[in-house]
Amino acid sequence: MTLLRAWLTGIPAYLWSGWGAIASLFLLLAAWEGASAVHGALILPDPGTVFATLAGLVDSGAAWPELAVTARRAATGLALAIAAGSTLGMLAGISMTASMMSRPLVTVLLGTPPIAWLVLAMLWFGASDGTPVFTVFIACFPVIFVGALQGTRTLDGHLREVATVYRLPLRMKLFDLYLPHVVSYLFPAWITALGTSWKVVVMAELLSSADGVGAALAVSRSHLDTAATLAWIAAVVLTLLTVEYLLLEPVKRELEGWRRQETEGGAA
Amino acid sequence: MTRALAIHGLGHAYALRTVLEDIDLELPAGRTVALVGPSGCGKTTLLHLCAGLLTVQKGTLENGFLRPAVMFQQPRLLPWKTTRDNIALGLKALGVPAGERLARAGAVGRSVGLDELALGQFPHALSGGMQSRAALARALALAPDLLLMDEPFSALDIGLKSQLHRLLLEHQAAHGLAVLMITHDLMEAVRLADTLLVMAAEPGRIVHRVELATPARRRGDAEVYQTTARLLQHPAVCASFGLEPPAPAENGTGGCTVLPLHGDSDAGCAAPALRKKGFSC
Ligand SMILES: Nc1ncnc2c1ncn2[C@@H]1O[C@H](COP(=O)(O)OP(=O)(O)OP(=O)(O)O)[C@@H](O)[C@H]1O
Ligand SMILES: [Mg+2]
Repeated sequence: MTLLRAWLTGIPAYLWSGWGAIASLFLLLAAWEGASAVHGALILPDPGTVFATLAGLVDSGAAWPELAVTARRAATGLALAIAAGSTLGMLAGISMTASMMSRPLVTVLLGTPPIAWLVLAMLWFGASDGTPVFTVFIACFPVIFVGALQGTRTLDGHLREVATVYRLPLRMKLFDLYLPHVVSYLFPAWITALGTSWKVVVMAELLSSADGVGAALAVSRSHLDTAATLAWIAAVVLTLLTVEYLLLEPVKRELEGWRRQETEGGAA
Repeated sequence: MTRALAIHGLGHAYALRTVLEDIDLELPAGRTVALVGPSGCGKTTLLHLCAGLLTVQKGTLENGFLRPAVMFQQPRLLPWKTTRDNIALGLKALGVPAGERLARAGAVGRSVGLDELALGQFPHALSGGMQSRAALARALALAPDLLLMDEPFSALDIGLKSQLHRLLLEHQAAHGLAVLMITHDLMEAVRLADTLLVMAAEPGRIVHRVELATPARRRGDAEVYQTTARLLQHPAVCASFGLEPPAPAENGTGGCTVLPLHGDSDAGCAAPALRKKGFSC
Protein backbone atom coordinates (compact mmCIF):
# COMPACT_ATOMS: atom_id res chain seq x y z
CA MET A 1 0.00 0.00 0.00
CA THR A 2 2.75 2.42 0.99
CA LEU A 3 4.59 1.13 -2.05
CA LEU A 4 1.65 2.04 -4.27
CA ARG A 5 1.29 5.49 -2.71
CA ALA A 6 4.99 6.18 -2.99
CA TRP A 7 4.82 5.03 -6.59
CA LEU A 8 1.91 7.37 -7.43
CA THR A 9 3.33 10.40 -5.66
CA GLY A 10 6.74 9.75 -7.16
CA ILE A 11 5.54 9.89 -10.77
CA PRO A 12 5.30 13.71 -11.30
CA ALA A 13 8.78 14.41 -9.91
CA TYR A 14 10.05 11.46 -11.85
CA LEU A 15 8.53 12.67 -15.14
CA TRP A 16 9.85 16.15 -14.51
CA SER A 17 13.34 14.73 -14.10
CA GLY A 18 12.94 13.14 -17.54
CA TRP A 19 13.07 16.36 -19.60
CA GLY A 20 16.63 15.66 -20.70
CA ALA A 21 15.63 12.23 -21.92
CA ILE A 22 12.61 13.65 -23.77
CA ALA A 23 14.76 16.28 -25.47
CA SER A 24 17.14 13.64 -26.78
CA LEU A 25 14.20 11.56 -28.02
CA PHE A 26 12.94 14.55 -30.03
CA LEU A 27 16.40 14.93 -31.52
CA LEU A 28 16.19 11.32 -32.64
CA LEU A 29 12.78 11.97 -34.23
CA ALA A 30 14.21 14.97 -36.05
CA ALA A 31 17.09 12.92 -37.42
CA TRP A 32 14.62 10.22 -38.52
CA GLU A 33 12.51 12.84 -40.30
CA GLY A 34 15.63 14.12 -42.05
CA ALA A 35 16.76 10.66 -43.15
CA SER A 36 13.27 9.94 -44.41
CA ALA A 37 13.30 13.10 -46.52
CA VAL A 38 16.62 12.06 -48.07
CA HIS A 39 15.83 8.38 -48.76
CA GLY A 40 12.15 8.44 -49.60
CA ALA A 41 9.09 6.91 -47.95
CA LEU A 42 9.60 3.39 -49.31
CA ILE A 43 12.97 2.97 -47.58
CA LEU A 44 12.18 5.00 -44.47
CA PRO A 45 8.70 6.49 -43.94
CA ASP A 46 8.68 9.64 -41.80
CA PRO A 47 7.73 9.43 -38.10
CA GLY A 48 4.30 10.97 -38.70
CA THR A 49 3.29 8.19 -41.11
CA VAL A 50 4.66 5.48 -38.84
CA PHE A 51 2.83 6.75 -35.76
CA ALA A 52 -0.35 7.23 -37.80
CA THR A 53 -0.06 3.58 -38.91
CA LEU A 54 0.50 2.57 -35.30
CA ALA A 55 -2.55 4.57 -34.21
CA GLY A 56 -4.51 2.83 -36.96
CA LEU A 57 -3.37 -0.57 -35.70
CA VAL A 58 -4.40 0.36 -32.18
CA ASP A 59 -7.76 1.85 -33.25
CA SER A 60 -8.71 -1.11 -35.41
CA GLY A 61 -7.94 -3.37 -32.47
CA ALA A 62 -5.33 -5.27 -34.48
CA ALA A 63 -2.43 -4.38 -32.19
CA TRP A 64 -3.71 -5.50 -28.79
CA PRO A 65 -4.22 -9.24 -29.39
CA GLU A 66 -0.79 -9.59 -30.98
CA LEU A 67 0.88 -7.63 -28.18
CA ALA A 68 -0.99 -9.70 -25.60
CA VAL A 69 0.16 -12.98 -27.13
CA THR A 70 3.76 -11.75 -27.28
CA ALA A 71 3.61 -10.37 -23.74
CA ARG A 72 2.24 -13.67 -22.46
CA ARG A 73 5.12 -15.62 -24.00
CA ALA A 74 7.77 -13.16 -22.83
CA ALA A 75 6.29 -13.02 -19.34
CA THR A 76 6.13 -16.81 -19.05
CA GLY A 77 9.74 -17.27 -20.09
CA LEU A 78 10.88 -14.36 -17.94
CA ALA A 79 8.97 -15.59 -14.88
CA LEU A 80 10.52 -19.04 -15.22
CA ALA A 81 13.98 -17.51 -15.64
CA ILE A 82 13.50 -15.22 -12.63
CA ALA A 83 12.32 -18.06 -10.42
CA ALA A 84 15.02 -20.52 -11.46
CA GLY A 85 17.83 -17.99 -11.87
CA SER A 86 17.27 -16.20 -8.55
CA THR A 87 16.92 -19.38 -6.51
CA LEU A 88 19.78 -21.30 -8.10
CA GLY A 89 22.03 -18.24 -8.19
CA MET A 90 21.57 -17.58 -4.48
CA LEU A 91 22.10 -21.23 -3.63
CA ALA A 92 25.24 -21.29 -5.72
CA GLY A 93 26.41 -18.08 -4.05
CA ILE A 94 26.14 -19.56 -0.58
CA SER A 95 28.56 -22.35 -1.42
CA MET A 96 32.03 -21.49 -2.63
CA THR A 97 32.34 -24.78 -4.54
CA ALA A 98 29.02 -24.34 -6.29
CA SER A 99 29.88 -20.81 -7.40
CA MET A 100 33.26 -21.91 -8.76
CA MET A 101 31.65 -24.78 -10.64
CA SER A 102 28.74 -22.82 -12.04
CA ARG A 103 30.76 -19.90 -13.34
CA PRO A 104 32.12 -21.55 -16.53
CA LEU A 105 28.71 -23.08 -17.27
CA VAL A 106 27.09 -19.66 -17.03
CA THR A 107 29.76 -18.15 -19.24
CA VAL A 108 28.96 -20.75 -21.89
CA LEU A 109 25.23 -19.98 -21.57
CA LEU A 110 25.88 -16.23 -21.79
CA GLY A 111 28.13 -16.66 -24.80
CA THR A 112 25.72 -18.78 -26.83
CA PRO A 113 23.68 -16.51 -29.13
CA PRO A 114 19.89 -16.67 -28.64
CA ILE A 115 19.46 -17.52 -32.33
CA ALA A 116 21.29 -20.81 -31.73
CA TRP A 117 18.91 -21.66 -28.90
CA LEU A 118 16.01 -20.66 -31.13
CA VAL A 119 17.02 -23.15 -33.80
CA LEU A 120 17.31 -25.89 -31.18
CA ALA A 121 13.98 -24.87 -29.66
CA MET A 122 12.30 -25.06 -33.08
CA LEU A 123 13.59 -28.61 -33.42
CA TRP A 124 12.38 -29.54 -29.93
CA PHE A 125 9.11 -27.63 -29.60
CA GLY A 126 8.02 -27.00 -33.22
CA ALA A 127 5.59 -24.15 -33.77
CA SER A 128 4.10 -24.32 -30.28
CA ASP A 129 4.39 -21.64 -27.59
CA GLY A 130 7.24 -23.69 -26.19
CA THR A 131 9.70 -22.31 -28.73
CA PRO A 132 9.55 -18.60 -27.81
CA VAL A 133 9.09 -19.36 -24.10
CA PHE A 134 12.12 -21.63 -24.01
CA THR A 135 14.26 -19.19 -25.99
CA VAL A 136 13.32 -16.34 -23.65
CA PHE A 137 14.02 -18.49 -20.63
CA ILE A 138 17.44 -19.62 -21.78
CA ALA A 139 18.44 -16.09 -22.83
CA CYS A 140 17.39 -14.54 -19.49
CA PHE A 141 18.43 -17.26 -17.07
CA PRO A 142 22.21 -16.68 -17.01
CA VAL A 143 21.85 -12.91 -16.56
CA ILE A 144 19.67 -13.40 -13.49
CA PHE A 145 21.76 -16.28 -12.20
CA VAL A 146 24.92 -14.16 -12.29
CA GLY A 147 23.15 -11.27 -10.51
CA ALA A 148 21.95 -13.53 -7.70
CA LEU A 149 25.33 -15.23 -7.45
CA GLN A 150 27.25 -11.98 -7.20
CA GLY A 151 24.79 -10.48 -4.76
CA THR A 152 25.11 -13.44 -2.43
CA ARG A 153 28.88 -13.62 -2.70
CA THR A 154 29.45 -9.93 -2.04
CA LEU A 155 27.53 -9.85 1.25
CA ASP A 156 29.84 -8.39 3.89
CA GLY A 157 31.34 -11.15 6.06
CA HIS A 158 31.09 -8.77 9.01
CA LEU A 159 27.31 -8.72 8.72
CA ARG A 160 27.23 -12.49 8.51
CA GLU A 161 29.08 -12.56 11.84
CA VAL A 162 26.43 -10.26 13.29
CA ALA A 163 23.80 -12.75 12.14
CA THR A 164 25.72 -15.54 13.85
CA VAL A 165 26.21 -13.89 17.22
CA TYR A 166 22.65 -12.57 17.36
CA ARG A 167 21.49 -16.09 16.49
CA LEU A 168 19.26 -15.15 13.58
CA PRO A 169 17.13 -18.11 12.54
CA LEU A 170 17.39 -19.26 8.92
CA ARG A 171 14.24 -17.39 7.91
CA MET A 172 15.57 -14.11 9.26
CA LYS A 173 18.97 -14.68 7.68
CA LEU A 174 17.19 -14.96 4.35
CA PHE A 175 14.74 -12.06 4.71
CA ASP A 176 16.71 -9.62 6.88
CA LEU A 177 20.23 -10.26 5.67
CA TYR A 178 20.57 -11.95 2.29
CA LEU A 179 17.53 -10.74 0.36
CA PRO A 180 17.83 -6.98 1.07
CA HIS A 181 21.42 -7.10 -0.08
CA VAL A 182 20.90 -9.46 -2.99
CA VAL A 183 17.90 -7.51 -4.28
CA SER A 184 20.15 -4.58 -5.11
CA TYR A 185 22.02 -6.91 -7.45
CA LEU A 186 19.00 -8.91 -8.56
CA PHE A 187 16.75 -6.03 -9.52
CA PRO A 188 19.05 -4.58 -12.19
CA ALA A 189 19.52 -8.12 -13.48
CA TRP A 190 15.75 -8.54 -13.69
CA ILE A 191 15.42 -5.30 -15.65
CA THR A 192 18.15 -6.34 -18.06
CA ALA A 193 16.42 -9.70 -18.42
CA LEU A 194 13.10 -7.95 -19.09
CA GLY A 195 14.64 -6.10 -22.01
CA THR A 196 16.25 -9.27 -23.29
CA SER A 197 13.02 -11.24 -23.01
CA TRP A 198 11.08 -8.67 -25.02
CA LYS A 199 13.64 -8.58 -27.82
CA VAL A 200 14.17 -12.32 -27.94
CA VAL A 201 10.48 -13.16 -27.96
CA VAL A 202 9.91 -11.00 -31.05
CA MET A 203 12.80 -12.68 -32.80
CA ALA A 204 11.54 -16.14 -31.87
CA GLU A 205 8.03 -15.34 -33.09
CA LEU A 206 9.33 -13.91 -36.33
CA LEU A 207 10.86 -17.27 -37.20
CA SER A 208 8.58 -19.76 -35.53
CA SER A 209 5.07 -18.51 -34.76
CA ALA A 210 1.86 -17.76 -36.57
CA ASP A 211 0.75 -15.04 -34.18
CA GLY A 212 2.23 -12.36 -31.97
CA VAL A 213 4.14 -9.21 -32.84
CA GLY A 214 6.99 -11.16 -34.41
CA ALA A 215 4.62 -12.90 -36.79
CA ALA A 216 2.98 -9.55 -37.62
CA LEU A 217 6.41 -8.17 -38.43
CA ALA A 218 7.06 -11.14 -40.74
CA VAL A 219 3.78 -10.46 -42.56
CA SER A 220 4.39 -6.72 -43.01
CA ARG A 221 7.91 -7.45 -44.25
CA SER A 222 6.59 -9.90 -46.86
CA HIS A 223 4.16 -7.16 -48.05
CA LEU A 224 7.14 -4.73 -48.22
CA ASP A 225 5.09 -2.51 -45.92
CA THR A 226 7.88 -0.49 -44.28
CA ALA A 227 5.46 1.80 -42.44
CA ALA A 228 3.69 -1.13 -40.77
CA THR A 229 7.04 -2.77 -39.95
CA LEU A 230 8.24 0.40 -38.24
CA ALA A 231 4.86 0.79 -36.52
CA TRP A 232 5.20 -2.67 -34.97
CA ILE A 233 8.78 -1.93 -33.96
CA ALA A 234 7.60 1.30 -32.34
CA ALA A 235 4.89 -0.64 -30.50
CA VAL A 236 7.46 -3.09 -29.15
CA VAL A 237 9.87 -0.37 -28.02
CA LEU A 238 7.15 1.81 -26.48
CA THR A 239 5.72 -1.09 -24.50
CA LEU A 240 9.13 -1.95 -23.09
CA LEU A 241 9.92 1.66 -22.20
CA THR A 242 6.56 2.09 -20.50
CA VAL A 243 6.96 -1.02 -18.40
CA GLU A 244 10.55 -0.31 -17.50
CA TYR A 245 10.38 3.38 -16.68
CA LEU A 246 6.90 3.82 -15.30
CA LEU A 247 6.60 0.57 -13.38
CA LEU A 248 9.95 -0.92 -12.50
CA GLU A 249 12.11 2.14 -11.99
CA PRO A 250 9.92 3.66 -9.22
CA VAL A 251 9.62 0.24 -7.56
CA LYS A 252 13.37 -0.03 -7.64
CA ARG A 253 13.77 3.40 -6.11
CA GLU A 254 11.36 2.45 -3.36
CA LEU A 255 13.05 -0.89 -2.65
CA GLU A 256 16.38 0.80 -2.30
CA GLY A 257 15.23 3.66 -0.10
CA TRP A 258 18.13 3.15 2.26
CA ARG A 259 20.60 3.42 -0.59
CA ARG A 260 18.96 6.48 -2.15
CA GLN A 261 19.16 8.37 1.15
CA GLU A 262 22.79 7.47 1.15
CA THR A 263 23.54 9.07 -2.21
CA GLU A 264 21.40 12.11 -1.43
CA GLY A 265 23.21 12.47 1.86
CA GLY A 266 26.47 12.24 -0.04
CA ALA A 267 25.46 14.93 -2.52
CA ALA A 268 24.14 17.33 0.12
CA MET B 1 27.54 -25.70 33.56
CA THR B 2 27.96 -22.64 35.76
CA ARG B 3 27.29 -19.17 34.45
CA ALA B 4 30.91 -18.36 33.76
CA LEU B 5 33.43 -18.03 31.00
CA ALA B 6 36.52 -20.13 31.66
CA ILE B 7 39.54 -20.05 29.38
CA HIS B 8 42.65 -22.17 29.91
CA GLY B 9 45.80 -22.27 27.84
CA LEU B 10 44.01 -20.80 24.85
CA GLY B 11 46.10 -20.27 21.72
CA HIS B 12 45.24 -19.12 18.22
CA ALA B 13 47.06 -18.88 14.92
CA TYR B 14 46.01 -17.38 11.60
CA ALA B 15 47.63 -19.72 9.08
CA LEU B 16 51.19 -20.04 10.39
CA ARG B 17 51.19 -16.84 12.42
CA THR B 18 50.58 -17.30 16.14
CA VAL B 19 48.60 -14.36 17.49
CA LEU B 20 47.49 -15.70 20.87
CA GLU B 21 49.39 -17.92 23.25
CA ASP B 22 48.52 -19.48 26.58
CA ILE B 23 45.66 -17.23 27.60
CA ASP B 24 44.04 -17.90 31.00
CA LEU B 25 40.91 -16.04 31.94
CA GLU B 26 37.98 -16.50 34.32
CA LEU B 27 34.84 -14.42 34.04
CA PRO B 28 32.05 -15.27 36.52
CA ALA B 29 28.57 -13.78 36.32
CA GLY B 30 28.28 -10.15 37.37
CA ARG B 31 31.98 -9.36 36.97
CA THR B 32 33.83 -7.18 34.50
CA VAL B 33 37.14 -8.04 32.88
CA ALA B 34 38.88 -5.32 30.90
CA LEU B 35 41.47 -6.19 28.31
CA VAL B 36 44.08 -3.61 27.34
CA GLY B 37 47.03 -4.02 25.05
CA PRO B 38 48.80 -2.55 22.05
CA SER B 39 47.12 -2.50 18.66
CA GLY B 40 47.36 -5.80 16.82
CA CYS B 41 48.15 -7.91 19.90
CA GLY B 42 45.13 -10.16 19.40
CA LYS B 43 42.44 -8.65 21.60
CA THR B 44 39.74 -8.81 18.95
CA THR B 45 40.82 -12.35 18.11
CA LEU B 46 40.33 -13.35 21.75
CA LEU B 47 36.91 -11.70 21.84
CA HIS B 48 35.83 -13.45 18.64
CA LEU B 49 36.95 -16.77 20.12
CA CYS B 50 34.75 -16.05 23.15
CA ALA B 51 31.86 -15.15 20.84
CA GLY B 52 32.21 -18.45 19.03
CA LEU B 53 33.07 -16.80 15.72
CA LEU B 54 36.44 -18.56 15.54
CA THR B 55 37.04 -22.20 16.36
CA VAL B 56 39.25 -23.00 19.30
CA GLN B 57 42.52 -24.45 18.04
CA LYS B 58 44.43 -24.91 21.27
CA GLY B 59 43.45 -24.96 24.92
CA THR B 60 39.91 -24.88 26.28
CA LEU B 61 37.14 -22.32 26.29
CA GLU B 62 33.96 -23.04 28.24
CA ASN B 63 31.14 -20.56 27.95
CA GLY B 64 28.33 -21.29 30.39
CA PHE B 65 26.36 -18.14 29.65
CA LEU B 66 23.00 -18.55 28.00
CA ARG B 67 22.47 -15.25 26.25
CA PRO B 68 25.68 -13.60 25.11
CA ALA B 69 25.69 -10.36 23.13
CA VAL B 70 28.56 -8.91 21.16
CA MET B 71 29.42 -5.34 20.32
CA PHE B 72 31.99 -5.36 17.55
CA GLN B 73 34.86 -2.97 16.98
CA GLN B 74 32.93 -1.52 14.02
CA PRO B 75 29.22 -0.72 14.47
CA ARG B 76 28.13 -3.32 11.87
CA LEU B 77 24.55 -2.10 11.61
CA LEU B 78 22.46 -3.48 8.76
CA PRO B 79 22.35 -0.61 6.24
CA TRP B 80 18.84 -1.48 4.99
CA LYS B 81 17.22 -1.32 8.43
CA THR B 82 16.40 1.78 10.42
CA THR B 83 18.26 2.32 13.68
CA ARG B 84 15.25 1.15 15.65
CA ASP B 85 14.96 -2.06 13.63
CA ASN B 86 18.69 -2.61 14.00
CA ILE B 87 18.45 -2.33 17.76
CA ALA B 88 15.53 -4.76 17.73
CA LEU B 89 17.44 -7.33 15.65
CA GLY B 90 18.32 -9.68 18.51
CA LEU B 91 14.80 -9.46 19.95
CA LYS B 92 13.33 -10.32 16.56
CA ALA B 93 15.59 -13.37 16.42
CA LEU B 94 14.20 -14.40 19.82
CA GLY B 95 10.68 -14.18 18.41
CA VAL B 96 9.52 -11.14 20.41
CA PRO B 97 6.37 -9.73 18.72
CA ALA B 98 6.87 -6.59 16.61
CA GLY B 99 5.07 -4.08 18.84
CA GLU B 100 6.89 -5.10 21.98
CA ARG B 101 10.33 -5.36 20.41
CA LEU B 102 10.09 -1.93 18.79
CA ALA B 103 8.97 -0.40 22.07
CA ARG B 104 11.85 -2.04 23.89
CA ALA B 105 14.30 -1.06 21.17
CA GLY B 106 13.08 2.53 21.41
CA ALA B 107 13.55 2.56 25.18
CA VAL B 108 17.09 1.15 25.01
CA GLY B 109 17.89 3.50 22.14
CA ARG B 110 16.81 6.51 24.19
CA SER B 111 18.81 5.27 27.18
CA VAL B 112 22.00 5.46 25.11
CA GLY B 113 21.02 8.95 23.99
CA LEU B 114 19.49 8.36 20.56
CA ASP B 115 16.43 10.53 19.86
CA GLU B 116 13.30 9.68 17.83
CA LEU B 117 14.78 11.20 14.68
CA ALA B 118 17.93 9.08 14.90
CA LEU B 119 15.89 5.97 15.66
CA GLY B 120 13.92 6.43 12.45
CA GLN B 121 16.94 7.03 10.24
CA PHE B 122 19.06 4.57 8.34
CA PRO B 123 22.53 3.94 9.83
CA HIS B 124 24.47 5.89 7.18
CA ALA B 125 22.66 9.05 8.29
CA LEU B 126 24.03 8.70 11.83
CA SER B 127 27.35 10.03 13.07
CA GLY B 128 30.08 7.55 13.98
CA GLY B 129 29.38 7.93 17.69
CA MET B 130 25.65 7.51 17.15
CA GLN B 131 26.29 4.34 15.17
CA SER B 132 28.39 2.88 17.95
CA ARG B 133 25.73 3.80 20.50
CA ALA B 134 23.15 2.06 18.30
CA ALA B 135 25.41 -0.99 18.26
CA LEU B 136 25.62 -0.86 22.06
CA ALA B 137 21.85 -0.55 22.29
CA ARG B 138 21.47 -3.55 20.00
CA ALA B 139 23.56 -5.59 22.42
CA LEU B 140 21.87 -4.28 25.59
CA ALA B 141 18.36 -4.73 24.16
CA LEU B 142 18.84 -8.49 24.40
CA ALA B 143 19.22 -8.23 28.21
CA PRO B 144 22.30 -10.44 27.86
CA ASP B 145 24.02 -12.29 30.69
CA LEU B 146 27.39 -11.94 28.97
CA LEU B 147 28.41 -8.83 27.09
CA LEU B 148 31.49 -8.92 24.88
CA MET B 149 32.54 -5.44 23.81
CA ASP B 150 35.34 -4.38 21.49
CA GLU B 151 36.34 -0.76 22.13
CA PRO B 152 32.72 0.21 22.80
CA PHE B 153 33.18 3.86 23.75
CA SER B 154 36.19 4.87 21.67
CA ALA B 155 34.12 7.03 19.29
CA LEU B 156 32.44 9.08 22.03
CA ASP B 157 33.12 12.37 23.80
CA ILE B 158 33.89 12.31 27.53
CA GLY B 159 30.38 13.38 28.55
CA LEU B 160 28.69 10.59 26.64
CA LYS B 161 31.37 8.19 27.75
CA SER B 162 30.69 8.73 31.44
CA GLN B 163 26.94 8.64 30.83
CA LEU B 164 27.29 5.26 29.15
CA HIS B 165 29.66 4.03 31.85
CA ARG B 166 26.91 4.73 34.38
CA LEU B 167 24.34 3.03 32.16
CA LEU B 168 26.52 -0.06 31.88
CA LEU B 169 27.08 -0.23 35.64
CA GLU B 170 23.32 0.12 36.22
CA HIS B 171 22.64 -2.71 33.78
CA GLN B 172 25.22 -4.79 35.52
CA ALA B 173 23.70 -4.17 38.93
CA ALA B 174 20.21 -4.92 37.67
CA HIS B 175 20.91 -8.04 35.58
CA GLY B 176 24.10 -9.52 37.02
CA LEU B 177 25.70 -9.04 33.64
CA ALA B 178 29.22 -10.34 33.03
CA VAL B 179 31.30 -8.04 30.82
CA LEU B 180 34.44 -8.67 28.83
CA MET B 181 35.54 -5.41 27.32
CA ILE B 182 38.44 -4.34 25.19
CA THR B 183 39.58 -0.77 25.50
CA HIS B 184 42.50 1.46 24.64
CA ASP B 185 41.57 3.81 27.46
CA LEU B 186 43.39 2.69 30.60
CA MET B 187 41.34 5.00 32.77
CA GLU B 188 38.11 3.57 31.42
CA ALA B 189 39.36 0.08 32.20
CA VAL B 190 40.24 1.10 35.74
CA ARG B 191 36.85 2.76 36.16
CA LEU B 192 34.73 -0.16 35.04
CA ALA B 193 36.62 -3.40 35.57
CA ASP B 194 36.97 -5.80 38.45
CA THR B 195 39.90 -7.42 36.74
CA LEU B 196 42.26 -5.68 34.37
CA LEU B 197 44.37 -7.75 32.01
CA VAL B 198 47.29 -6.20 30.15
CA MET B 199 48.33 -7.98 26.98
CA ALA B 200 51.57 -7.80 25.05
CA ALA B 201 52.07 -8.54 21.37
CA GLU B 202 54.01 -11.11 19.33
CA PRO B 203 52.52 -13.44 20.35
CA GLY B 204 49.50 -12.04 22.19
CA ARG B 205 49.67 -13.03 25.84
CA ILE B 206 48.63 -11.71 29.22
CA VAL B 207 51.56 -10.06 30.94
CA HIS B 208 49.93 -8.32 33.86
CA ARG B 209 46.81 -8.84 35.92
CA VAL B 210 45.28 -6.31 38.29
CA GLU B 211 42.39 -7.06 40.64
CA LEU B 212 40.51 -3.92 41.69
CA ALA B 213 38.98 -4.51 45.07
CA THR B 214 36.52 -1.60 45.33
CA PRO B 215 33.26 -2.38 43.48
CA ALA B 216 33.15 -0.28 40.31
CA ARG B 217 29.99 1.55 41.39
CA ARG B 218 31.73 2.90 44.48
CA ARG B 219 35.01 3.78 42.86
CA GLY B 220 35.70 7.49 43.16
CA ASP B 221 37.41 9.68 40.58
CA ALA B 222 40.50 10.20 42.72
CA GLU B 223 40.99 6.49 43.10
CA VAL B 224 40.56 5.95 39.37
CA TYR B 225 43.11 8.62 38.46
CA GLN B 226 45.67 7.34 40.92
CA THR B 227 45.34 3.70 39.99
CA THR B 228 45.66 4.65 36.33
CA ALA B 229 48.73 6.76 37.00
CA ARG B 230 50.30 3.97 38.99
CA LEU B 231 49.47 1.43 36.31
CA LEU B 232 51.22 3.57 33.74
CA GLN B 233 54.36 3.40 35.86
CA HIS B 234 54.32 -0.36 35.90
CA PRO B 235 57.25 -1.92 34.00
CA ALA B 236 55.10 -4.64 32.39
CA VAL B 237 52.60 -2.06 31.14
CA CYS B 238 55.33 0.23 29.83
CA ALA B 239 57.03 -2.64 28.05
CA SER B 240 53.79 -3.84 26.48
CA PHE B 241 52.90 -0.44 25.04
CA GLY B 242 56.50 0.46 24.21
CA LEU B 243 56.44 3.46 26.56
CA GLU B 244 59.49 5.06 28.14
CA PRO B 245 60.27 3.07 31.27
CA PRO B 246 59.30 4.96 34.46
CA ALA B 247 61.83 7.17 36.20
CA PRO B 248 63.46 5.51 39.25
CA ALA B 249 60.90 5.07 42.01
CA GLU B 250 60.15 8.12 44.08
CA ASN B 251 57.63 6.79 46.47
CA GLY B 252 54.30 8.54 46.47
CA THR B 253 53.03 11.41 44.38
CA GLY B 254 51.67 14.68 45.76
CA GLY B 255 51.60 13.52 49.33
CA CYS B 256 49.71 10.30 48.53
CA THR B 257 51.22 6.95 49.30
CA VAL B 258 50.52 4.42 46.58
CA LEU B 259 49.83 0.98 47.88
CA PRO B 260 49.79 -2.20 45.79
CA LEU B 261 46.48 -3.82 44.95
CA HIS B 262 45.43 -7.42 45.00
CA GLY B 263 47.31 -9.71 42.67
CA ASP B 264 49.78 -6.99 41.95
CA SER B 265 52.70 -9.05 43.15
CA ASP B 266 55.53 -7.52 41.18
CA ALA B 267 54.53 -3.88 41.46
CA GLY B 268 57.27 -1.37 40.76
CA CYS B 269 57.25 0.27 44.16
CA ALA B 270 58.44 -1.54 47.24
CA ALA B 271 55.55 -0.66 49.52
CA PRO B 272 54.68 -2.71 52.59
CA ALA B 273 52.40 -5.66 51.89
CA LEU B 274 49.30 -3.97 53.16
CA ARG B 275 46.39 -5.76 51.44
CA LYS B 276 43.74 -3.21 52.22
CA LYS B 277 41.90 -1.82 49.27
CA GLY B 278 43.08 0.89 46.98
CA PHE B 279 45.03 3.81 48.30
CA SER B 280 45.57 5.70 51.45
CA CYS B 281 46.43 9.33 51.58
N1 LIG C 1 41.27 -12.82 9.67
C1 LIG C 1 42.61 -12.69 9.88
N2 LIG C 1 43.50 -13.34 9.10
C2 LIG C 1 44.82 -13.23 9.31
N3 LIG C 1 45.36 -12.48 10.26
C3 LIG C 1 44.54 -11.82 11.09
C4 LIG C 1 43.12 -11.87 10.93
N4 LIG C 1 42.55 -11.09 11.88
C5 LIG C 1 43.57 -10.57 12.58
N5 LIG C 1 44.76 -10.99 12.12
C6 LIG C 1 46.07 -10.65 12.67
O1 LIG C 1 46.08 -11.02 14.02
C7 LIG C 1 46.68 -10.02 14.80
C8 LIG C 1 45.75 -9.64 15.93
O2 LIG C 1 44.62 -8.99 15.39
P1 LIG C 1 43.45 -8.43 16.29
O3 LIG C 1 42.39 -7.90 15.40
O4 LIG C 1 43.04 -9.47 17.27
O5 LIG C 1 44.20 -7.23 17.03
P2 LIG C 1 43.66 -6.23 18.13
O6 LIG C 1 44.43 -6.51 19.37
O7 LIG C 1 42.20 -6.30 18.22
O8 LIG C 1 44.13 -4.83 17.56
P3 LIG C 1 43.38 -3.40 17.61
O9 LIG C 1 43.57 -2.87 18.98
O10 LIG C 1 44.11 -2.59 16.60
O11 LIG C 1 41.95 -3.62 17.26
C9 LIG C 1 47.01 -8.87 13.88
O12 LIG C 1 48.41 -8.87 13.68
C10 LIG C 1 46.32 -9.17 12.60
O13 LIG C 1 47.14 -8.85 11.51
MG1 LIG D 1 40.65 -5.04 17.71
